[in-house]
Amino acid sequence: MSMETTISPKQEKRNYKKMRKSELWKRIKKNKLIYLMILPGLLYFFIYKYLPMYGLIISFQEYKPYLGISGSEWVGLEHFKRLFASPDFWMIFKNTLILFGLQIFVYFPIPIILSLMLNEVRHSFFKKGVQTLVYIPHFMSWVVIVSISYVMLTLDGGIVNAIIESLGFEKINFLLNEDWFRPMYILQVIWREAGWGTIIFLAAITAVDPQLYEAARMDGAGRFRQMWHITLPAIRNVIIVLLILKIGDVLELGFEHVYLLLNSSNRNVAEIFDTYVYVAGLQQGQFSYSTAVGFFKGAVGLIMVVFANWLAKKFNEEGIY
Amino acid sequence: MAKKKRITMGSRMFDFFNYFLLALIALITVLPFIHVVGSSFATSAEVANTKFLLFPTKFTLDAYEYIFSTDTIFKGLGVSVIVTLGGTLWSMFFSTLTAYGLARKDLVGRRVINFLIVFTLLFNGGMIPTFLVVQQTGLLNSLWALIIPVTINAFNMIILRSFFVNIPESLEESAKIDGANDFSILFRIVLPISLPAIATISLFYAVTYWNTYMHAILYLSDAGKWPIQVLLRQIVVLASGLTYDGAAYTDVPPPETTIKMATIVVATVPILLVYPFLQKYFAKGALLGSVKG
Amino acid sequence: MSNWKKIMGLMLLAVLLLVTAACSDSSSESSGDNEGSEEGSDGTFSFSMMANLHTPEVPDEKVLNKIEEVTNTDIEIQWVPDNNYEDRLNTAFATNSLPDAVFLKNQATFIQFREAIQDGQFWEVGQYLDEFENLSKLKQNVLDNTKVDGKLYTLYQGRPLSRQGIIYRTDWAENLGLEAPTTTDEFMEMVRAFTEDDPDGNGKDDTFGLTDRSDLIYGAFKTVSSWFGTPNYWGEKDGQLLPEFMFDEYVQTMDFFKEMHENGYINQDFPVTSKPDQQEFIKNGTAGVYVGAMSDVGSLRDDAIAINPDAQFDVHNHVEGPNGEFGIWSIPGYGNLVMFPKSSVESEEELKKILGFFDQMMSPEVANYAYWGFEGEHYELVDGAAKVLDSDINEREVKPYQAIEIGEPETNGRYLGYFDYEPKAKSEELFLENEEHLINDPTVPLYSETYVKEGGTLQQIITDATYNYILGQIDKDGFDKAIEEWKSQGGDKIIEEYNASYEESK
Repeated sequence: MSMETTISPKQEKRNYKKMRKSELWKRIKKNKLIYLMILPGLLYFFIYKYLPMYGLIISFQEYKPYLGISGSEWVGLEHFKRLFASPDFWMIFKNTLILFGLQIFVYFPIPIILSLMLNEVRHSFFKKGVQTLVYIPHFMSWVVIVSISYVMLTLDGGIVNAIIESLGFEKINFLLNEDWFRPMYILQVIWREAGWGTIIFLAAITAVDPQLYEAARMDGAGRFRQMWHITLPAIRNVIIVLLILKIGDVLELGFEHVYLLLNSSNRNVAEIFDTYVYVAGLQQGQFSYSTAVGFFKGAVGLIMVVFANWLAKKFNEEGIY
Repeated sequence: MAKKKRITMGSRMFDFFNYFLLALIALITVLPFIHVVGSSFATSAEVANTKFLLFPTKFTLDAYEYIFSTDTIFKGLGVSVIVTLGGTLWSMFFSTLTAYGLARKDLVGRRVINFLIVFTLLFNGGMIPTFLVVQQTGLLNSLWALIIPVTINAFNMIILRSFFVNIPESLEESAKIDGANDFSILFRIVLPISLPAIATISLFYAVTYWNTYMHAILYLSDAGKWPIQVLLRQIVVLASGLTYDGAAYTDVPPPETTIKMATIVVATVPILLVYPFLQKYFAKGALLGSVKG
Repeated sequence: MSNWKKIMGLMLLAVLLLVTAACSDSSSESSGDNEGSEEGSDGTFSFSMMANLHTPEVPDEKVLNKIEEVTNTDIEIQWVPDNNYEDRLNTAFATNSLPDAVFLKNQATFIQFREAIQDGQFWEVGQYLDEFENLSKLKQNVLDNTKVDGKLYTLYQGRPLSRQGIIYRTDWAENLGLEAPTTTDEFMEMVRAFTEDDPDGNGKDDTFGLTDRSDLIYGAFKTVSSWFGTPNYWGEKDGQLLPEFMFDEYVQTMDFFKEMHENGYINQDFPVTSKPDQQEFIKNGTAGVYVGAMSDVGSLRDDAIAINPDAQFDVHNHVEGPNGEFGIWSIPGYGNLVMFPKSSVESEEELKKILGFFDQMMSPEVANYAYWGFEGEHYELVDGAAKVLDSDINEREVKPYQAIEIGEPETNGRYLGYFDYEPKAKSEELFLENEEHLINDPTVPLYSETYVKEGGTLQQIITDATYNYILGQIDKDGFDKAIEEWKSQGGDKIIEEYNASYEESK
């Protein structure tokens, strides 16, 4: 666990050094109640998050459950080498980055736009109604969503193709054509999560003082300008925090969802790291290899988060740490 | 009032398109759910014969009668309600304390701690070491195993913290001058003006607890303590033909689609009802309004 | 503000209550948690076992209580949903918390545990079987299939060797003057006619022949490949064991499917069709032929006549390939296996007690309780066979316990099933007939380390290539390239290891 401290920002350390010891102590003492407040939380993170992290060791071992961590053989970077040397590594990496790009550039703005639109609704009944309806899909599991998609899109009597055909067009092979995988993936993500995503922004928008809108209207600002100059700045902080967290999830694209969409025809564009190790990890008991891939995913995520947070700080934003 | 007169043509157009688009979006998002609900009230024959059933022509409660004919689903719902209520309170309590503490800009070590918490979002030790810790802390086969190991969700805590950071420091300063300590500042001043944030994060926790599934299977060997999601998942998986077919047990026909849909409805509606209930905390200007009050 | 105080007070109170509840809860739990296997005061032997739940609900304990009463035991069954069985099994194994008797789920998990078995983590049971009246009846050939290095560590749960065959609409066939197909050509003719000749006579082009799903093994593909004479996973060619996809018969089968797919005789999206969706096509009269477990005819027909009361079905197994022979692939004769970890079963004495329980499980009385439930309540006897009275109740109260059956009717003496519906009864007969035409997998008793570690990942290459060939997305050269890829990524090693193991066993 020594590695976290080495990664921690250097600048802060320098600041500490500069500060006289006594002054530092005074600052700590002043906040002793605050430390008491965060103590249970820190204990929680230590016990349930950091203690189990020793399990990451097995990514450098040939772990066998009956031998345990202490008895398993060390293999160094063998599993990482195997991952990078795999003929599919770059294909998977590319697929992952493209899906990540879709998540950031296509999906991410939608809940923001949706909540801005909802914020402009004056009829509370309509607003609450729409809010409640759009958040329902979040509660449907991917299994159900993917199977409903199948029923709608299949060539064998799906309603979408029936409509396309009745309009005089050729049927479209949505399910067994790799070109359709990415649109389908992101549309399903949007459909399921966009409404749910608005909740947090709507909560942030409540902080806006209604008088600000009043004043803006007096100045003759139109609706779009009000959104741009009043609403958006109010939720900027939350947007940035969410964006950084999302960036950290770069290799975390929803295993179950992708796995259910994956088939022999779209594997070239749909295989991601999680689906790639699924067979190896679960069905063939290769604990070490799947842990190594998890380790790799975490490391990439960490680099992305550190970078994104650094960028945010550059622009004088709060960031996430 | 004067306000009404100010509504311009452009504004009216805006409203029209806005309402229209939102209604359309709501319709699209809700259609598959109507399909689920509709199928749950239809006969199996109609479901098998209609491609995308929305409203059954023959309304029947057969599927519901079937799933409610044993107490399994009631027990599952009961467990889920207890875990969701208890877990949300538990998690909110500790998350609020931690988030508020870490939102204080003058806290020494704040950045390091925050970083260490972000770190847990990216790396985890895996199923087996976590199981060992849960075992060592004596939680196995207790409902607490569904709550304590997920006491604080780092993601939720960070969001909550970012809400707290936005609160003007002047509010806290003035309270301090009046001799209030940090706890009373948090509970008397910060929380009341953070209701939208509290409601949001509570909802997030409630939904997470409601959806608890994997932990129940790993940590609870007594099937009588399984929450509704385990049952739901089992039915959905069986009815979707996702189980391993090999050497299949003698013929267990997959559950009917109608039963699958009815179970989805029963397992989903309770948690769907939480949001409308919380919506009153999202009223515009709630924050500043209560500061004044 | 006073509102807030109240809320906070309530919240604190709730947290406090929860904590006290937790303390009392966990203390009561911990006493019960460490109970391993032990003798109760009244002489009942108590132990725990883990089994997979393959029904929607955990059963009520009526049947279990009866079994406990008869066998004088106190059993704690830890049910695990079938779909997450591996997660739970691996976790329990790695954390030393396996129960006394562990069901393995299937062949794949058994192969995975091989190394641990060799390491001595589980009790060897071979030498004890003779001491038990019923366990000693277990079939030797199936036991041989489950041995590790010639030693036996498991008890098996029997399964018919091959349940594969055809289910088809006889009313459609009659309309078009067709008989049950006896050759692959006739089969092709049937799916063609069911697609093109308006078998339901409604004047609309709204039917197709074969309904299939995204499963090359338990769907139609492997069964059809058997008709063509393809080996079962592995076969011998020029004295060497080679995987099935290196045989011409496999390619012929792919061509057969390709022809069906091109002409629309099979559902166009079959590589992504789930089992329920596949079955729906036959239930609602869109498709007329189903290839898979013939016993499915019962549930297919039940749902089909709810939609169309005139729908009629029959089962059929015997289809000859171009070489004039009929063959059908087999499974190794077991469905599930139970093992006894040394970490929880501490002494030979204890092991013998648990084996004693499973011995009783194999007596006709207990086997019938576990499989059929109570006579008069769950089933009645018709001509010496058990007829289920109410399938809903049966599914809830009895079926889950079928997961702990040991042996098969021949060895444990339980009743066979009685079926009113004739094709269903016929399917049971055809299982037996299939046994005379079996194509066995020669690698079942063999071992390849590379196969255990990489087999699943490698198989993906072939599965993809097979689908893509059928869909016309790759040609024969593309398929050969996939085989080369399979070989170079570890397949060659598997061939080598299996052949070495094969030589050894000769």
